Amino acid sequence: MRILDVTRLAWGQIKRRKVVTGLCMLGLSIGCSAIVVALSLGDSVQSYVSREVTAQFKMDEITVMPNEGVSQGGGPTATKTGANSNVGKLTEQKLDIIRGLKHVTAAAPFQDAGYFELLTADNKISNFNLVVTDLSLLTKYDFSFQQGVPSKQIGSVVLNYGATIGLMDIETQKKLMESLSSNSYDPEVMRQYDELSRMPSNLYRQQVQFRHSDYETSTGGVKSYLSSQLQVAGILKKADGMSADQAMYDKKIYVSQETYDRLKDEFNIKPEKPEMGQTYNQALIRVDSQDNLPQVETLIKKLTLNTSNNLYQLEQLKSQFAMFKMVALGVGGFILIIASISIIVAMTMSTHQRRRQIGIMKVLGSNMRQIRTMFIMEAALLGFMGGVLGIGFSYLIVEGINKLVSSSGQMTMGTGESLVVSIPLNSIPVGIVFAVLTGVLSGIYPAISAARTNALTAIKRD
Amino acid sequence: MLRVENISHTFKSGSEVTPVLHNISFEVHQGDMVALLGSSGSGKSTMLNLMAGLMKPTEGHIYIADQDIVKMGENKLAVFRRKNIGFIFQAYELITSLTVRENVELPLVFQSVSPSVRKKKSLALLEAVGIPDKSELFPSQLSGGQQQRVSIARSLITEPSIIFADEPTGNLDTTTEEEIIRILIDLNKKMKTTFIVVTHEPEVAQRMQRIFTLRDGHMITEKRGTAESEPAEGVPDSENS
Repeated sequence: MRILDVTRLAWGQIKRRKVVTGLCMLGLSIGCSAIVVALSLGDSVQSYVSREVTAQFKMDEITVMPNEGVSQGGGPTATKTGANSNVGKLTEQKLDIIRGLKHVTAAAPFQDAGYFELLTADNKISNFNLVVTDLSLLTKYDFSFQQGVPSKQIGSVVLNYGATIGLMDIETQKKLMESLSSNSYDPEVMRQYDELSRMPSNLYRQQVQFRHSDYETSTGGVKSYLSSQLQVAGILKKADGMSADQAMYDKKIYVSQETYDRLKDEFNIKPEKPEMGQTYNQALIRVDSQDNLPQVETLIKKLTLNTSNNLYQLEQLKSQFAMFKMVALGVGGFILIIASISIIVAMTMSTHQRRRQIGIMKVLGSNMRQIRTMFIMEAALLGFMGGVLGIGFSYLIVEGINKLVSSSGQMTMGTGESLVVSIPLNSIPVGIVFAVLTGVLSGIYPAISAARTNALTAIKRD
Repeated sequence: MLRVENISHTFKSGSEVTPVLHNISFEVHQGDMVALLGSSGSGKSTMLNLMAGLMKPTEGHIYIADQDIVKMGENKLAVFRRKNIGFIFQAYELITSLTVRENVELPLVFQSVSPSVRKKKSLALLEAVGIPDKSELFPSQLSGGQQQRVSIARSLITEPSIIFADEPTGNLDTTTEEEIIRILIDLNKKMKTTFIVVTHEPEVAQRMQRIFTLRDGHMITEKRGTAESEPAEGVPDSENS
């Protein structure tokens, strides 16, 4: 029997029994669309969150820190080198070795020197995190200058975008803090706070000073030190993917090692162990690609240093989304099983109703295999049509989800970009194949039952 | 062509055994037009089912084209039926979702015959039964007589050696009945196809060349009918079984 003839005969039955066809298709289409939407949602959310994470966490950087256990000579991992050893320290010599490693594009100290207060010429203040690094290498770490250029001059500082906003005079800051503590739920106070926290100041080429407060004086009081005048040599752009809210809390000022040495003198900060030479508490290593990061990291660890990177964020996301996908597919599969049962019932009833016709076909010369094939083809066609309808439903559902997300404005992360669910092209055949397979599997029992119909029924008259 | 040898058949329902056919034997030759006449319960339909291989007899043998169909399995029988046997049903039994032409072609579809050959043969047969202009209509658009013509054309499409017609005029009025009988006689004359017509109407049986009469499962007579064509050799004018 030719495949076209089988299809035509099956199609004829499908057309004739519109209600049964409609119900079977509906069940299959719901199952199919559940699978397609689940896949699409899983893919879209995963790529959205991955994009957001990649934008916020640099995936091609390794943060290197001293191996404290070794360098301090304590703890179970300590070596015999003892407390006076340089083994676990992050030294300039080790950084030089790292710079020579394959795939490393930049290696520079990014020492966290702690929090200080910034004072401008017009008496505005703000707190910031001081980072000691090689200013000339900033651009190698994807920092770009909004104003100015890195300067090697001692006393030059570079501010990130966050450090230029939210500066206010002492009086205003005091009043705002008082209002916040007494009316913390007052929307007007919150609005004022937000407004002032985001207000930019033009600090480029301005003279600024840092204030350091020492809380560990011998008298038990607090002693303040004010630095000499510092020149703002550059302002960095807000990082891509960073929201305005995030920028408010990311206030950093970058200085060179030489400037920091001068500041330490002015703030009376003593080096921990000057005899050890130049050591750092943190360095950032840039690698040419995310794929080469683990390899470089392994080599750095061999220098008895601690490392960390952001790849685990992606790994964690991957496992979470794999689970989400499995659950969603499970739901889709469950719906398909329900649809499958409805097809089995509908087709078995149809077999019963058509037993006379099946008998006639047998009398006219069709064998059991041909009858089975006709029924399975019918089920496959139902599956295909249900699948196509399901794809249509999926597009409608996805459109609905997107409208809901965009109108609620809730599903936004750091970049401020909202989640847009799209149906990946490869999920369309997957959905249709699932629907056809469900149809075919559901059609097997009715097909066998139909093929067993006794031809005698054809000529028996009621 | 068809040889029935010592056929007996009983129906069993629980412990109850009902004999329906008793030691029936007869022979039909190529080109014969035979009526199997009997009233309700005479066993004529059971005889038809046995001859068509739709049932197995309790005893005896049935040979069509020298092959014992009693010994055949279902699939072999399906293939045999396709090639050798045609059917005409009382209620026409056309597939409502197919057009007239597609209905006629159906037995060839099961033989995987190409669409062009099928179309050519079906149109020729529709012409032969007098409804060439109805080929693209659906059965529901035809009268009873026209539907039976389609059924006749369908039975002939595989060029079978024998056609079983089960009360072919049972659902038709007298005028249409006459038309259908006329068509069967003409086709028998032209194509030399063997027809076995099961009927309870003596008027219909009378139009055939030979009449086998069944009563209570026994073959009581075989006699010559009044069909225009001559019966095959060796058939007596009238004889008791």
